[in-house]
Amino acid sequence: MTKTSTEIQNDIYQFIQTYATTDDQQLSESDFNRVALDLFDYQFKSNLPYKRYAQSQRKSPLIVNNWQSIPLMPIQGYKQLTLSTTPVQKDEPVFMSSGTTDPNHRSHNYHPSFKVWDASMKYPFKQFVLPDRDKMTILGLFPGEKTNSNSSLSRYVTKAIDFFGDDKSGIFIDENGMDYQGIVGALKDAERQGRPVMLLGASFSYVHLLDYLNEQKLTFKLPVDSRLFDTGGFKGQSRSVDAQDLFDAIKNTFNIDRDHYINMYGMTEISSQCYDQNLVRLYHHLPLDYTKAAPAWVRVRILSTDTLQPVESGHAGLIAYYDLANWNSCVAILTEDMGIQDENGFEVSGRVQGAEAKGCSIAVDQLLHANQM
Amino acid sequence: MKRTVMGTIKVIPVDIFKMPRGITLTNFGYQTITIGQLDYSLRFPIVTPDAIVEINDRLRHNQAAYLSHLTVAEIISKIDQAVNLWTHPDYPQRRLAMKLLPQITGYNAETVELEIKRFIRVFRKKELMRFVDSELDQPEILDDFHPQKSGSMTKAFGPETTFHVFSGNIPGLQIWSLIMATIVKSASLGKTSMSEPLFPVLFDQSLAEVSPELADCLAILPWKGGTMNLEEAATSATDATIVYGSDTALDAIKELVPKSKIFLHYGYKISFSMIGREALTPEYYLQTVKQAIEDVAVYDQQSCLSAQTIFVEKGGTTSPLNVAKLLASELANYQLKRPRAELTNEQAAAVVRLRNDYQLKALNDSDVQVFASDGNTDWTVVYHAHPGFVNSPLNRTIHVYAIDELEQVPEYLQPFKQYLQSCGLAVKPTRLFSLANQLGRAGIDRISALGEMTRAKPGWHHDGHFNLLDLLRFIDVEQNTERAAEKFDPDVE
Repeated sequence: MTKTSTEIQNDIYQFIQTYATTDDQQLSESDFNRVALDLFDYQFKSNLPYKRYAQSQRKSPLIVNNWQSIPLMPIQGYKQLTLSTTPVQKDEPVFMSSGTTDPNHRSHNYHPSFKVWDASMKYPFKQFVLPDRDKMTILGLFPGEKTNSNSSLSRYVTKAIDFFGDDKSGIFIDENGMDYQGIVGALKDAERQGRPVMLLGASFSYVHLLDYLNEQKLTFKLPVDSRLFDTGGFKGQSRSVDAQDLFDAIKNTFNIDRDHYINMYGMTEISSQCYDQNLVRLYHHLPLDYTKAAPAWVRVRILSTDTLQPVESGHAGLIAYYDLANWNSCVAILTEDMGIQDENGFEVSGRVQGAEAKGCSIAVDQLLHANQM
Repeated sequence: MKRTVMGTIKVIPVDIFKMPRGITLTNFGYQTITIGQLDYSLRFPIVTPDAIVEINDRLRHNQAAYLSHLTVAEIISKIDQAVNLWTHPDYPQRRLAMKLLPQITGYNAETVELEIKRFIRVFRKKELMRFVDSELDQPEILDDFHPQKSGSMTKAFGPETTFHVFSGNIPGLQIWSLIMATIVKSASLGKTSMSEPLFPVLFDQSLAEVSPELADCLAILPWKGGTMNLEEAATSATDATIVYGSDTALDAIKELVPKSKIFLHYGYKISFSMIGREALTPEYYLQTVKQAIEDVAVYDQQSCLSAQTIFVEKGGTTSPLNVAKLLASELANYQLKRPRAELTNEQAAAVVRLRNDYQLKALNDSDVQVFASDGNTDWTVVYHAHPGFVNSPLNRTIHVYAIDELEQVPEYLQPFKQYLQSCGLAVKPTRLFSLANQLGRAGIDRISALGEMTRAKPGWHHDGHFNLLDLLRFIDVEQNTERAAEKFDPDVE
């Protein structure tokens, strides 16, 4: 029997509650498989474009009998199609991508309810970002929900502060730009009071902040347990940043060590996030590991760019993302991110770029780029 | 040291550089490729800007001492002798090329063998004479002063040394540029790409067998493109720079070339083909499809001459949609016969992305259909029931557009004008030249038969321009000088 929207949300919510604090995927495997198949069945029946895409791939709930064979919606589908299992209501919350690569086409992910999304955000954040405490001072360096209600990251930052920020927390950026003096003040307070802080923002937020602090010759000795959180990457931004240079700058400017730097993998088209494991391992006195872990309701597979079949452990390929929290659109997504996975976790090596033409022939991206100039 | 159950692997050294005699290089890098039980150790020099200057000085000296004194006819004859060596299947350089190039480039071995054989014949004496003749009414003008209709006596000079920046997309293509420069009596400093560093070196070895002095007018070596100090040294030391390859490669080097010097660039290009309804009769349609696929499959569309899009005219015995399906099955056959090169992740992902885009589009748009190899990226055909124009991510990926009349094609080409190059054309004689005229206006610079797109002929105006003329400068001796000189003849009465 195909589940209703409410039933499937309840199942997923229940799943998240059950496995809130475990990233041991074996433990959750059979439940994951069951809910994923139910969810695919539900989406196949209620999300017509997904159904048609699945059919074009010769897939249907009748023949899909494990989560690995659920058809992967290419991430472009979120731009080209309206992917929603419930009729899209006027004023329904929707997350849209910033559309940097193609301004005319932005991804849309509709969220008639945030119950599952919030649960999916909350527990892994606690586990991976705050393994040592329940609340801390969070300085948001990305515009909040009020500034940009269509950004999944904006909602994320706002919720992080709602759930885990103390009364000194806040967001220091809005449509007018970054409040550098506010940030400096907050950092100085924390330094003086010996109160650890978390800086939380998009990767490129730090480029601007570090530039400013460097210009002002400002450095901080932030208290032990302070941490720096970023997400996204530096590609396509004002300038590219070498990872080691960034870690050095973070250390020199904030006194935050590499093992207190944590990166989150998330995107508009999905509803769960993955995190670097170093912080949780550090506080549990386990050997350090900088690969990413997924929560129990997410599976990550790395697929060959040629065959779209799983590659061997340690080989690079496209990231396929299976996310139970994405109940209203598609449970399985083929991203355009390259990644590598082993038994410990996965790494994201970046967005796949257009093929560099070897000679005088021209590939799509380069042509687009050329025409933009 | 690698061991196998069969014993130690044998290591064969191969130099992928060639220097004029008298140049001593001491610092080397190595790259190994393994074929069966053999390791080929490719050796290349690691040079400094000073070495580039020294090499150029030597080339300049050799050009003045030897090449500048040869006549064009003598140069052509020597090149012809070297080319003739390559027409023997047992010629060691040829055998080495056939063995190593498929490994280095990833292209199918049979394709490499066939195409190199065809390609080398383009440089035989009669072809080179045609080539020179197509650009110079009097090729001897490169040897001596010749009278002009204006009355002056004129001689042409090429650069003394030319810096070539090669791309590695098509094996062997580098020698086109080297031979051009040699014919205008320029010594050459060739920078190869590590994606195909071999062929020009082997060809220079052949020249050395024929004429060591001529071979001494060429220096060939690879380095990483964008190595600023080397490229700066090379562009400022030589008289002319010719760059093949991407706009990125171009921009970096163009900056370095002094304004006063010759700079030529052969860059990004897109080619396509057009199939008229008259080529889709029951008698011809299968042959037409096979030929069209040749333009796509040879060298996996890495050549700028390869078709990326095919326009198919409606009204033939077989419909454009059916042609698209036939093209797909011919690509599948070709894959069995001559498999495509393995792709990098970026290349394969580009094909995957294209397929995803159009498969998603096809969900809501019955005018688009995707035919693709199953379970891999080997080949892809995207059929469009309405005309348009778009380039492809290459590697045997094509767009097929149905169109009412081929005469309508140019209207879809406009946004791509600066990138257009060759058009493979299958139409009846009465349409050929009016279509050619339209395509010429649209920016196309070469029209060929289907199946021949990737095999440009000597004398082709590469990218629409002259090959030799752009390298030349001329000196005119006015008639009055001659008359004045007569006065000073002590013997004059």
